[in-house]
Amino acid sequence: MTKQELHRVVYCSRVRLSGPPAGIARELRDILATSRRNNMRADLSGALLFANNCFAQVLEGPRVAVERCFERIQNDPRHSDVTVLAFSPASAREFPKWSMGFAGEPGAAHDPLAFVVFEGAFARDRPESGSAVLGLLHGLVRREEAWALA
Amino acid sequence: MALRAALLGVAEGVILLDPDLRLILCNAAARRRLGWVGGSPRRGLALTTMLEHAGALDTAERMTIREHCAALLAEGAMPAIGRDSAAAEKELAFGDFAMRLRWLDGQGVMLSIPMGGDGGEVALRDPLTGLGNRRAFQAALAAALARPETEAALLLLDLDRFKHVNDSLGHPVGDALLRLVAQRLRASLRGGDTLVRLGGDEFAILLPRAEGAEPLAERLVDLLSRPYLVEGHLANIGVSIGIARAPADAAEGGMLLRRADLALYAAKAAGRRQFCLFRPEMDARAQARQALETDLRRAVALGQFHLHYQPLLEVASNEVIGFEALLRWEHPARGMVPPAEFIPLAEEVGLIVPIGEWVLRQACRTAASWPETVLVAVNVSPVQFADGARLLRAVDEALASAGLSGTRLEIEITESVLLRDAAETLATLHDLRGRGVRIAMDDFGTGYSSLSQLRSFPFDKIKIDRSFVSEIEGESGGKAVVRAIAALGASLGMTVTVEGVETEAQAAFVATSGGHQMQGYLISRPVPSDAVAALLAGRPASARAGLARTASSDGA
Repeated sequence: MTKQELHRVVYCSRVRLSGPPAGIARELRDILATSRRNNMRADLSGALLFANNCFAQVLEGPRVAVERCFERIQNDPRHSDVTVLAFSPASAREFPKWSMGFAGEPGAAHDPLAFVVFEGAFARDRPESGSAVLGLLHGLVRREEAWALA
Repeated sequence: MALRAALLGVAEGVILLDPDLRLILCNAAARRRLGWVGGSPRRGLALTTMLEHAGALDTAERMTIREHCAALLAEGAMPAIGRDSAAAEKELAFGDFAMRLRWLDGQGVMLSIPMGGDGGEVALRDPLTGLGNRRAFQAALAAALARPETEAALLLLDLDRFKHVNDSLGHPVGDALLRLVAQRLRASLRGGDTLVRLGGDEFAILLPRAEGAEPLAERLVDLLSRPYLVEGHLANIGVSIGIARAPADAAEGGMLLRRADLALYAAKAAGRRQFCLFRPEMDARAQARQALETDLRRAVALGQFHLHYQPLLEVASNEVIGFEALLRWEHPARGMVPPAEFIPLAEEVGLIVPIGEWVLRQACRTAASWPETVLVAVNVSPVQFADGARLLRAVDEALASAGLSGTRLEIEITESVLLRDAAETLATLHDLRGRGVRIAMDDFGTGYSSLSQLRSFPFDKIKIDRSFVSEIEGESGGKAVVRAIAALGASLGMTVTVEGVETEAQAAFVATSGGHQMQGYLISRPVPSDAVAALLAGRPASARAGLARTASSDGA
């Protein structure tokens, strides 16, 4: 895969998980573990944010791998209202170290910053949402670098 | 016997019929290509019965084969001298396969189906998605419904906005998108379900059970509406789904398909991105529509249309300066059919073109008998603008045969005309203008982007929609709207006509608001052509009196 093919997608979706927080947390760990495994193999990196019952995700890698992975994610019934905020070629990875970062704790109180960003992301015609979500993920990933799940 | 064995084994599909059109043999390749349903073919089976097993053929195709076999038989019975040897063979094409019919002198008829590029299987598969195709679907449908008391559900899917994606991102991206759609569909189905691509952006799913169709449809509407990343592009499409169930909605395949299609139509009409179950009243509605279309087609030939004329009153001179021609359809059984009922249908099925041409001819002929200063306004449908050259020809012929000057004709269009191929439409409008014909924007204020439309073409006239006039007497701002549009029209050098004037208070307001012309029941209802002369002679005086009275009582 050549470097020119590097693409990045940023998207949000609403989480369709119900049940006690512990169960949701287990489900999220599952999602994370699976994507870690798959993404490493496909040369994908990125970050995943869970907050206010929404996912925000950045996926970076060779275009075909990004498209394939995204397609797999679409078929997952555990989320809905998928909104793509940005999809374009990228010159370099924003999250090179992460096979998949995980920011935000299941069941934690609503993060006000995340709330504002998600509101904007799901509303149409907000071209700045993509970079806002990207910035949010950057901040959270840094803040909780040590929190990454094993 | 050796021949029989040889024929049974060849890759080409072969069916032999005796001179009574009863089956002698039908080999495996033929069965495969025909989507054979049910038990193996018996010797002596009548052709008609045999064709019923051919799931890959529809009713019309079966009939075509029957007719040609009968014709060959009749031809074959003639003495050899008078016979045209070319007529002893016939090749029929059925979409993706061909069938050759040959009269075997006195021995019967041979039907052969040559191999497609990759053998028989390919004829049943859609090469783009790898799903089954329409033929495979018909075979599956026939097989599913062949069992007695069978339960099945048929889902017809039509992608929303696919054409837009295909046009804007190109066919290769469109094709890749269809493959992703096929994948998402495939992933949502169970083992016994049949999924096919019928063609274009249409898919069908056949479930071997009557329940479960609704939750599946709901899931598919959600799933297919999710975004796609395809070949470096983001694509958003949706899906509309129609569902019909056997045996509740129909027990026979063709009918089940038709009813699912009606439900699909309803889902699209309700705003797309949803599913609809067939309901019996959809059938009734479709039949009523069908009947209306049949009557409409006849109406042109039977001369059931006529025109009524509604006067346009000039405010400054208080004189009738023209008439708008309005189409009336009087059906012997239906009575007067309202235009709102038949015009949209006429536009949908294309009948509006000949009807519109008749209107132009008739209106010009009638106007030729009026005083030279009186003009005639004719409504032209957006559909007519799709073929600008034909429209121009129709206008030329109407003017020439009536001996009417182009300056006495006004063409009224709605904003939607400009929403279509704008460049071509504008060219047509300018060509009409070149003939001296005036162009009026009808129903102004009801569309989406009225102001930008006004800038796109120098209209001679704008007609303020009746809905604003009816609000003049209320508090909802009708007055302000009429005043504003009148001022706008005046500043752009356009005549402003106010439609739907029904009361003297409205007329008085129009007179003081800057409107140039008015039209409505207060001045006159639309009248038959023979009443026009009386209107031209009698109306101005009474109108003047009426206006003077209300204007003074209004204190203006």
